Amino acid sequence: MSEAYLRFWGVRGSYAAPHETHLGVGGNTSCVELRAGDHLLVCDGGTGIISLGDALMREGGLKEMLVVFTHYHWDHICGLPFFQPAFSPDWRIRFFGPGDTAADIERRLSDQMKAPYFPVETETWMADISYVEPHRDGLRHGPFEVCHFNVHHPGVTYGYRVRIADKTVVYISDNEVQFLKTSIAKRIHEFEADEHELLERMVSEQRSAEVGAIEGVDILIHDAQYTPHDYSKKRGWGHSCYVDTVNLAIDAGVGCLYLYHHDPNYTDDQVAAIHRDCLQIIAERKSSMECHIGREGMKVRL
Amino acid sequence: MHNAKPIIVLVDDSAAMRSLFEQVAQEAGVTLQAFESAEASLAFLTTTRPALLVVNVMMPNRDGYSLLRELRTQPLHADTPTVMISSKDYHQDRVAARELGVLEFVPKPISKKALRTLLDTHVPGSSGNAPLA
Repeated sequence: MSEAYLRFWGVRGSYAAPHETHLGVGGNTSCVELRAGDHLLVCDGGTGIISLGDALMREGGLKEMLVVFTHYHWDHICGLPFFQPAFSPDWRIRFFGPGDTAADIERRLSDQMKAPYFPVETETWMADISYVEPHRDGLRHGPFEVCHFNVHHPGVTYGYRVRIADKTVVYISDNEVQFLKTSIAKRIHEFEADEHELLERMVSEQRSAEVGAIEGVDILIHDAQYTPHDYSKKRGWGHSCYVDTVNLAIDAGVGCLYLYHHDPNYTDDQVAAIHRDCLQIIAERKSSMECHIGREGMKVRL
Repeated sequence: MHNAKPIIVLVDDSAAMRSLFEQVAQEAGVTLQAFESAEASLAFLTTTRPALLVVNVMMPNRDGYSLLRELRTQPLHADTPTVMISSKDYHQDRVAARELGVLEFVPKPISKKALRTLLDTHVPGSSGNAPLA
């Protein structure tokens, strides 16, 4: 198999932020490309997928891909109506995301292109489009083995574990880590003393599940949207404080963490400060984990 | 012999939650059937309509919404009294649960007292907060 890599095409959370002060990190919303030779897997269709589509049309050659969606909030699907390969008859594109059936997935993706929200509907897509029937045992796309799992975000939201070229990459764009633990802390007064052991078991169970989803993976791309100060005001919005993200990744023995789904209000300098703090936490915990800012355009060899 | 105790079905991957329900169900005089996954519950639910179905939203494989959507298509469960529980507490999840006709959406953690009240409210024939004999 020839070169395998991943590339960030969109790294912002919530909405695009194409401001001069933000472009070092990037202004487009969620989209990550994973490439292994002639095989292409795309995670999410935020505004980043528009540039990916343009690049694929220029590149030629490839004519097939699988696109997986974590969920259908707009920042993860709003690039799709402008995704050139979907309008090109020589492409074959499979879509997958949360839903009980392939028809569910189709409906959720196509609704955003209905009038009055968009001038043309998915019927104008000329590519060979199909929607993947959900599989409990995961998906295969060429050399990619793809499994999904539920994460902590409003509605049903998936994280994806991708096995490729002897590496495991986990993509969790939106996830509020440690939510139950903080819910218990806020409501501890409702519980009798003899219930505290049970509460500790619940926290332990949730931590095990969070760690288990990413344990020992080579690369983790994870929601690190908020500073502690902003998280204190936005707890319950479905996103993580970077302190919780980096500690979870250390606990799980992750090889390399990419901070992702950056808040659209944060400038390059603010994201750099978050990164410095993450490195400090890693050093204080004497971890060997690598940690980088997920930056638009960044290519990572697998 | 006819078992007159109301049957409660709990579907939750959390062993701690199943343990909590077991304790409170005993006190309330109801029979608890607890399952750790949606898949594991289906065979039982194919033939049994419980007095109350309690479903966790986020589970490792099949989520609680998906399970309940399937059950709602079956005549036996079209209106089975159902409560959804979750470590999530987002508006979107409350709406999704309401659209599936649930009686309540209860965010975790759930205290014994709250659970007793839940059974007392929704399960006719449970002894609710009655003291143990």
